[in-house]
Order: sequence, then C-alpha cells, then structure tokens
Amino acid sequence: MLSSDTFVSATMKPFIVAENIAKAYGGVQALTGVSLSIAPGEVHGLVGANGAGKSTLIKVLAGLVQPDAGRIVVDDVPVSLPTPHHATNLGMSFIHQELAFIPGMNVLQNILLGVPKKTRFGMVDWQAAARDVAPIAERVGIKAPLFASVKGLSTAENWLINICRALVRNARLIVMDEPTASLSAAEAEKLFAIVEDLSASGVAVLYVSHRLDEIMRLCSRVSIFRDGRSVGCLEGAAITRPALIEAIVGGKVESLAAAARHPVARRDVALTVKALTRAPKVNSVCFELRRGEVLGIGGLVGAGRTELARLIYGADRPDSGVMTLDGAAFSPRNPTQAVKAGLGLVPEERRAEGLLITKSVAFNLQIANLANIVRSPAWPLIHRRKREALSLQIVRDLAVKTPNIDTPVGRLSGGNQQKVVIGRWLLRAPKVLILDEPTRGVDIGARSEIHRLVRELAARGMAVIVISSEPDELPDLCDRVLIMVEGRVVSTLEGEAITRNAVVEASYFVGGQPTQETTI
Amino acid sequence: MSMVMSGGRRLSPASKAALGFFARYATIIGLLLMIAVFAFLSPRAFPTLSNFTNVLNQASLAMIIAGGLTLAVIVGELDLSIGFAASLHGVLVTGLIVANKLPIPLAIVIVIALGALIGLVNGLIVTKAKVNSVIATLGVGTILTGLAFAYSAGVPIVAGVPEAFLQLSLGRWLFGIPNNIIIMAVVLGGLWILVERTALGQEIQAVGGNPAAARLAGINVDRIKILGFVVSGMCAALTGILLASRLGSGTTSAADSYLLTAFAAVFLGSATMRDGEFHVLGTFVGVLIIAFGFNGLNIFGAPTFSQYIFQGAILIVAVGLASLGRMISES
Repeated sequence: MLSSDTFVSATMKPFIVAENIAKAYGGVQALTGVSLSIAPGEVHGLVGANGAGKSTLIKVLAGLVQPDAGRIVVDDVPVSLPTPHHATNLGMSFIHQELAFIPGMNVLQNILLGVPKKTRFGMVDWQAAARDVAPIAERVGIKAPLFASVKGLSTAENWLINICRALVRNARLIVMDEPTASLSAAEAEKLFAIVEDLSASGVAVLYVSHRLDEIMRLCSRVSIFRDGRSVGCLEGAAITRPALIEAIVGGKVESLAAAARHPVARRDVALTVKALTRAPKVNSVCFELRRGEVLGIGGLVGAGRTELARLIYGADRPDSGVMTLDGAAFSPRNPTQAVKAGLGLVPEERRAEGLLITKSVAFNLQIANLANIVRSPAWPLIHRRKREALSLQIVRDLAVKTPNIDTPVGRLSGGNQQKVVIGRWLLRAPKVLILDEPTRGVDIGARSEIHRLVRELAARGMAVIVISSEPDELPDLCDRVLIMVEGRVVSTLEGEAITRNAVVEASYFVGGQPTQETTI
Repeated sequence: MSMVMSGGRRLSPASKAALGFFARYATIIGLLLMIAVFAFLSPRAFPTLSNFTNVLNQASLAMIIAGGLTLAVIVGELDLSIGFAASLHGVLVTGLIVANKLPIPLAIVIVIALGALIGLVNGLIVTKAKVNSVIATLGVGTILTGLAFAYSAGVPIVAGVPEAFLQLSLGRWLFGIPNNIIIMAVVLGGLWILVERTALGQEIQAVGGNPAAARLAGINVDRIKILGFVVSGMCAALTGILLASRLGSGTTSAADSYLLTAFAAVFLGSATMRDGEFHVLGTFVGVLIIAFGFNGLNIFGAPTFSQYIFQGAILIVAVGLASLGRMISES
C-alpha cells in the first residue's frame, strides 16, 4: 500500500506543493529531496524519526531557512519564501512547540501582534478590534477574556490563542508541530475537535507528530520522511500503525517479543535506580547499571531521558525514588555532591551547559579536576606544569585537534569540543559516566572515535549511560538499551535484540503494560 | 549586554584583527596618550615623581574598592552597595575608636568583619532568595546609609580622632612609600593571585563564564557567588577605613561616590587586554585612567562639573569597548 508517488489522488487542486526540496547545513545534508502536497481543508500528517528532516522542511515553508534546491508552488504559482513575512502573506501559519507570547500584553494584543489594526485619530481602536476578533475566538473556544493578561494561561489555552492568531490572518494552512506534547488527554481531545472543524471550513492543517494514534485518527494523508527523503505517502485506510512504523524505520519490523534476550552476567552493580519519579517528565524509572556496562537510553525527544539523567546527577531533585551507588545510599542534592560521589555528566547542550566557550582548552579540561592540579591542599595554587602535563595527556589520548591547550575551546570543531567535555571526566575517572547525546553535531570521524572511547572506558570498568535519539547509535554502542516513552521505561533490549528497528518500534510504544526491569 | 553586528555583516579577517587590537589595547593606549598630552601641556607640574606618587596615593582607595567589585562582577553579579557600605564603615570605625575607645587594630578588624558579613548577606539574598543582584545590593546599600545616619545622627565624627589612626593613611612606614599604596598593592596582588593562580580562582572564573556549565562540572555555584560578594564587602570596608583615616573624620556618605568610580574602572578593565572579561589587572589600569584624568583636569583648573562629565563618559566608553571586544571574540 505504500505509494512512492507523493501526489496521488489529491482530489482537489492542492493549496501548496513542495517538490524535491534539498537543504544542507555545513556538510550535513538535512534534506536530500522531499516532496509534499497539501490540499485545501486537508489534515495532512507528517511523521519520521528524530532527524528525518521534518523540522527543516517546516523551517523552509516558514521562510526561516532557504532551500538549496527544489520549488514551492502555492495555488499553482511558483513562489519564493525569503522571509517569514512572505509565508504569512501566502496564508501559512506556524505553531511551534515552544509558544512565544509577549507576557506584558493581553490576549487580544497577542492575537493581533503584527497585524495592521484599525485606528481612530492615530490610536488603536481596541474595542473595534475586539469586535472583529471575538467571533473567531469563540469559534476556537478561547475561554479567557480578550482583555485578560496572557500570564498564567495554560498551554492548551496558548494553543487556542495561536490558532486564533492564525485565523485572524486568514491562514489557509496551519502547521502544528507536536501539538499535544504538553497537553492533557482532555485538552488534546478539544484540540482534535478544533482541527476537524478547521478542516471542515477549508483550512488545511499540516500535523507533525510522533504520536501515531493521533496521526491515524486525524489525518487523511500522511507523508513519511526518513533520513531527509520522502519515503512515501499513505492515504485513508492504508494509514495503520505497522505501515507507519515500517515506513519510518525502513524495512520489516520484527516483533519485540520474538527478540531473544541474553541475560548478561557482569561485574558488580555500580548504580541502582528504583522508582525514580519527577512529575511529569520522569515516572517510576527502575534499572541497575553494572561496572563495565554501557547502558543506552533510547526514545523520542521529550521522552524524559535528559530529565532522568539530571535526577541521577543531582541537577534536579526527584519527587520520590531511591538510588544506590556501589551499594551505598545515594541521593545527591546538587551536582557537586554527585561529582564527589563519583559521577560525571556530558550534557546534551554542549555550548550552553558543557563548555566555557571563551576559555582555553586546558581551562575546560581541568575545571572538574582542580584538586589534582594544585601544589597541595593547604597551598592551593595551580601547579602549572601539572596542569599542562595532564591537559596534554588528554589532548593526546583523545586526539583532540587543537593548535595548543591555550586555544579558546570555542575555536574547535564540534567533535573536538565534545572530546574536551568527555576528557574533563577522564581525569577524575568517575564510577558512572552519563553521556547525553554524545555525538550530536559531531562529524563522522569524531563520532566513531567517541564510540571507541566509550567502549574503552567500559572495558576499564567504568559504568556508562548513553542517551541518544539516533536509533543507529545505540546498537553500535550498548550492551543493553532501555527505551523510554513519556517518562516511563517501556522496554529493555539486550545483546542481539538491540537493533535499529527494535529501538524505533519500542520508541513508538503506546498503551499496554510497560515492561519493567525484573532483576531488581 | 549582548549585541548583534548591524545587518549581520561579516568582518574581513584583517579588519577583525584591527578592531580586536583596538578593543583590547584602546584603554592602555588612551592612558599613555593622556599622560603624554598632560606632560606636554604642563611639563613642570604633571610629569614629576611626586605628582605620580600623589596620583597613585589618591587612587589607592578607589583601587581597593574596585578590586573587590571586580570579584563580584567576575562571578556574574553587580554589587551596588559598596559605596554606601564604605561610608558606613568609615563612620563606624571612627565611632568605635573615638566613642567606644576601642584599640585601633581591634576596631579595624571588627569593621572588616562587618564588611564580610554585609557581603554574606548580599550573597545569600542573591543566591538563596533569588533576588536580582542590582536590586538586592541597592536595597542593602540604602539600608546601610540609613544605619550610618542612625549611628552618627548625620553629624561627622571629627573631634578626638587619634593621630595614630590618621597615620594609617597618611604615614609612609616602608621606604617612604605612602601606606595607601602599599596596602593597595598587597590587596590587588592578593586578589590577582586568588583569581588567576588558585584553584578557587578557576572556579570563580568558571562561574562567571557559564554558571550552568560550572554547576554541571560539579562546582558549587552559590558558594562561589557568595564568596564574590564577601570579598567585595571586605574591600569596601577597607576603603571606608582608609578614607576615614585620610579625612580624619567619619562622615556619612563620604565614600558614596566611589561606587561610580569603581564601576567605571571595572568596565574599563574588562576592555583591557581581554575581550570583555573582568580581571584584576584590568581594573588597576581602569582606576589609573580615571585617576590621571582627574589629576589632569585638576592641574588645568577645570571646573568640578567637568569631572562628572569625564567620569560618565568614561563609563559609557568603557562598556562600549568591552562589548566590542566580546562581539569580535564571539564572531
């Protein structure tokens, strides 16, 4: 049923057609040729794994990013979208995951932001504006008064205001990026009703979501992206879960139950985590981690993996749950305590949370290791030769490409910056090292070096946790993989069962009883 | 304080290098130029050893308070309480000596400990109660002004100040070098070693550079920030004491104007040799620029109002240069 022709049976003349859009960022090909056509009033789904190119295409349509190749046709007329303003004028509206409002303004002012307003004697006639907006606000179900402040409104209400904003601009296509990510079930239902209502009135919706249930329920057609390409477009009855997953993954999916589990007896347990919870992102997570083991944590963006890492590391406090480290109770109140107890973290946001970008390579390497480079604890002057020797050793061991150790770390490439963040912990030799998206934005060469390094650290007895959104990364690297969905661990893959397909399929797990670790 | 290059234009490497050099060394070149011009215009009065010693002596108090402020701004906070605090400390130290008849060294130790306590309070309000440091220290500073008036009833403590206390600031106990200069050199030298050469200093720099990254690297960010405020508070206390000694009296609001001088110097310093990063040596150069500027204006008999204009203009130029440096290093 999978059709390779993206343009099949658009019964109506399409509102917008994007053909063979290509876009590269630096050397990375984000889109290699994707196509999409959306008819007026259609609810069109867009799915694909993390990094499949959905966000890039949305940015192209929004005029935020200029494509390298391809063309966009609106109402049969080829158009160019050099700025977001052009996209708005053509009737496209974009609602992103992080909704941006101006907090000091009221609902009405936010709805009309950037729209020419009626004036009397040069002053905005807000009463007239409110009369114009009121019917639209009522239609989408905004409960808050138009003159109320936007402060303290719920995410759901923010969505409604954004939809209203789109309709006031006479949008003919509304692009919704993960609309239900932070909505409750009841709020999501309301949103679905509005989407259906929009569709009935001729407004098209491009519905981008990881949640396949919603896609199956709402969409009349679904485009699937994989690795920056269009891999097909499903229609009507052909939109089924297996078909969607197969298209997202590319190839047949073997069922999880069939996958053999190899219980791996290993060395001592380093870290146990029991019923760790911090609502709403992390929900009763249990696992144990042994020395010498590389444990992967897979799942979709927003599944609660980074939040779990922060709990273990003491960067956030859990609501409940207990941990042990080397058999002793472990409940760090802050990262300082976690580091002292023997943890290390390579954070997801390298520039924002990992590095002091203007400081030197040596500074960044030694910042977690100062006790080892002072002359003596009583005379805590930095021993410069020790500092230099230890820094050079890490630079050599990890093959960090840098002119010298005094070069500002911001001048290094992404891969080399990442090596510096990892290298910082090698000097401390932590018991447990957590790497959050260790190869994001890293070139292929550095990526395999980092992988080799992780295996090496495990071989030396370190317990390693690797969080990754790339399904390809975990099979290469891990002895065992936990898959998280909406804050829970839903499955555990071991040994041969860790395949790209198994990781992706489990990431889309919905409903049913999550399988918990049974070893605890 | 971040700025965007107008129109997002890319600079050519050559012009970037030239602009970068200008941003880094403009302050030092400006200082040398100023000295040269004054020396040329007033070859008798200005370029003499006694005038230079005099300038440095005068500038020492500003250098100490600005050195302390440097620690606060390195950890990423502003301390607006220092001027008011120094005024209170001046009143207090005179009061303790004159009214309470305390031995001079004990009075000094008490007042410096109080300075540390004020810094601690500032630090706790900022890190634990999460009050923006501008507001917190402005509030604390205003309270301190109130306390100074309450303590002295607004009347300067003049009578009965012992000669020994005056000699603290006016004396030349070592090789004929004014005490102020020696105390300043010890304080700034100590601060420089602390920031640039110790493990603690690395943590101080890390917290100022990127608090989120410092925290995840295991540094206790709150404790380091509090330390910055404590050092700032102690330096303010020392400045207040030396000022009271120099004036021979404890006068409410005597040291208030040091606030602006210290800020101008600290920002000038951040534009000196480094791309918009605060550092102790830079602050030293910053105070020198302001001190020589005032000295020159004095020698030429420029009216008082010109000093305010000079200092305000210097502050703006300094922040502009620091931003330019940061912009270039980040582009």
